[in-house]
Amino acid sequence: MRPVILLENVTVAYNGEPALMKISFKVEEPSFLVVAGPNGAGKTTLLKTLLGLLKPIEGKIVVLGINVLKNPLRVRKLVGYVPQRERIDPSMPMLVKDVVLMGRTTKTGLGRLFTKEDIEAAKKALELVGLEEHWDEAFSHLSGGQQQRVLIARALASNPKLLLLDEPLSGVDALSQNVILGVLREMADRGTGVVMVTHDLNPILELADYILLLNKRVVGFGRPNKILSREVLSEAYNRSVDIVRVGETCFVLGGDSHA
Amino acid sequence: MLEIMFAPFIVKAVIAALLAAIVSAVIGSFTVLRGLSTMGASIAHASLAGALLAFAMKYEPLLGALALSMLFALITAYSSEHGGVRMDIVLGVSFGFSSALAALSLSLTREYTTTAYTYLIGEVLGVTDSDIILLSSYSLAVIIGVVLFYKEFKFITFDMEAAQAMGLNTSFYNYLMIMLIALTCVVELKIVGSILAVVFIVAPAASAYEFSHDMERMIGLSMLFAVASVLLGMLLSIVFNLPSSPTMGLVASAIYMVSIVLSTKRRICACRIPVIRTIREKTMR
Ligand SMILES: Nc1ncnc2c1ncn2[C@@H]1O[C@H](COP(=O)(O)OP(=O)(O)O)[C@@H](O)[C@H]1O
Ligand SMILES: [Mg+2]
Repeated sequence: MRPVILLENVTVAYNGEPALMKISFKVEEPSFLVVAGPNGAGKTTLLKTLLGLLKPIEGKIVVLGINVLKNPLRVRKLVGYVPQRERIDPSMPMLVKDVVLMGRTTKTGLGRLFTKEDIEAAKKALELVGLEEHWDEAFSHLSGGQQQRVLIARALASNPKLLLLDEPLSGVDALSQNVILGVLREMADRGTGVVMVTHDLNPILELADYILLLNKRVVGFGRPNKILSREVLSEAYNRSVDIVRVGETCFVLGGDSHA
Repeated sequence: MLEIMFAPFIVKAVIAALLAAIVSAVIGSFTVLRGLSTMGASIAHASLAGALLAFAMKYEPLLGALALSMLFALITAYSSEHGGVRMDIVLGVSFGFSSALAALSLSLTREYTTTAYTYLIGEVLGVTDSDIILLSSYSLAVIIGVVLFYKEFKFITFDMEAAQAMGLNTSFYNYLMIMLIALTCVVELKIVGSILAVVFIVAPAASAYEFSHDMERMIGLSMLFAVASVLLGMLLSIVFNLPSSPTMGLVASAIYMVSIVLSTKRRICACRIPVIRTIREKTMR
């Protein structure tokens, strides 16, 4: 089967200072990939590299069967992207529907209004994250967790083949967190690639298909149960980490640098 | 005394000022939300330099203004795209450069004070028919640009990063928006002059922001405030025999100050005063 994401020896640098070194991994369907690592590990850099927004100094990147370095725009049009929420000014005068419809911008011709089809896709996406009754509300009036769900709905509205999410769980209430993880799992099962960045592994240990532990280089990559060793996690986070098993569930202690 | 309001030169002035008010309200909303007001000020000064330079060389001043403001728009947009240089430094230098250029071209003209004065504070009462035609076509270009690229502009204003990640050519739309701001500055130059251009681009939109939770409402209110500034300013300037452009600028700024107090977004103690509370509740939705 064609891999959803394939990286070979990818190195990315900012002004000569490497942020990612010799990254190689391969993800196949169903592909809920969770990328974890401490602040500054290069997680956001990895997402931007997958989109061709940053050019690696070496290596090969194939996303959805497309060579990113040759054809970045083709990849981007298949992607739903959810940026870190702090990058967005919530006081902007936008309604929830305005934000979700943004996901349809590149689907509708220049100078065209949004069509019925666009509006339907947007409403359906908002329903998936459980906020359909907030369609006409101001974005700024929602809670942080709800705003995050609207941003995810925007990404879903474009009917993406691949979802990239940058720390969608940080600063989000428990209810929103459950909704978000449920939607992502469902999308992955339906064949949409999902790459989610997080600095806290706990909520997703049971849900992920793959985990990539990143700290400038690949510290660990594989199925969740395989890479969850104390040594690997401690290396990923630059500090001592403990794993506690409670019945079926694993917990990583000390890994969340924000806790 | 009010029949003077309907004298042909006043009517022409009002038409021109309304044009300027409406365009700046539309583009101003994007300018304010994207934090590009300082860039607007710098471009306005470039358009002044362009007008004076063209005047000194016996060309059409508004074309000179167009050329130089576009050039500066491109330069500032380029440096914002390609990072590496801090934006406030780029703007500071380009502001100084265009002001120096303006002062230099000023010394080349014989009609020293009068010409300088008209482009510094505008000469809305002196607009000719051909001015109105030129300004209308510039204004139309701005409006068409915003209407055509409205959803793209909205996306990059709210979230440039996601827009780019999802395949929008954000660089193109960024350049385009900044060039429309430049075009608006040229329209403003003739009507209110380079000093007041920024007031007209920023103040009505910033006032509208205080009462808006969506972009369409913000643009609509912004137009309303801009038109009110023009009409009220014109009226006051006739009644009190004041120059019209600065009076319009004062009204626009005054509306902004009142908006801050009445804002439905801020909690200012003024809302404890019963009259103000009633107004606030009426404007809230
Ligand atoms: N635009 C940039 N210019 C220079 N260095 C950067 C830039 N963006 C990120 N970096 C550096 O690259 C490293 C990785 O950053 P990032 O990918 O944002 O990490 P993470 O998302 O895992 O917290 C950090 O050391 C950061 O300082
Ligand atoms: Mg990051």
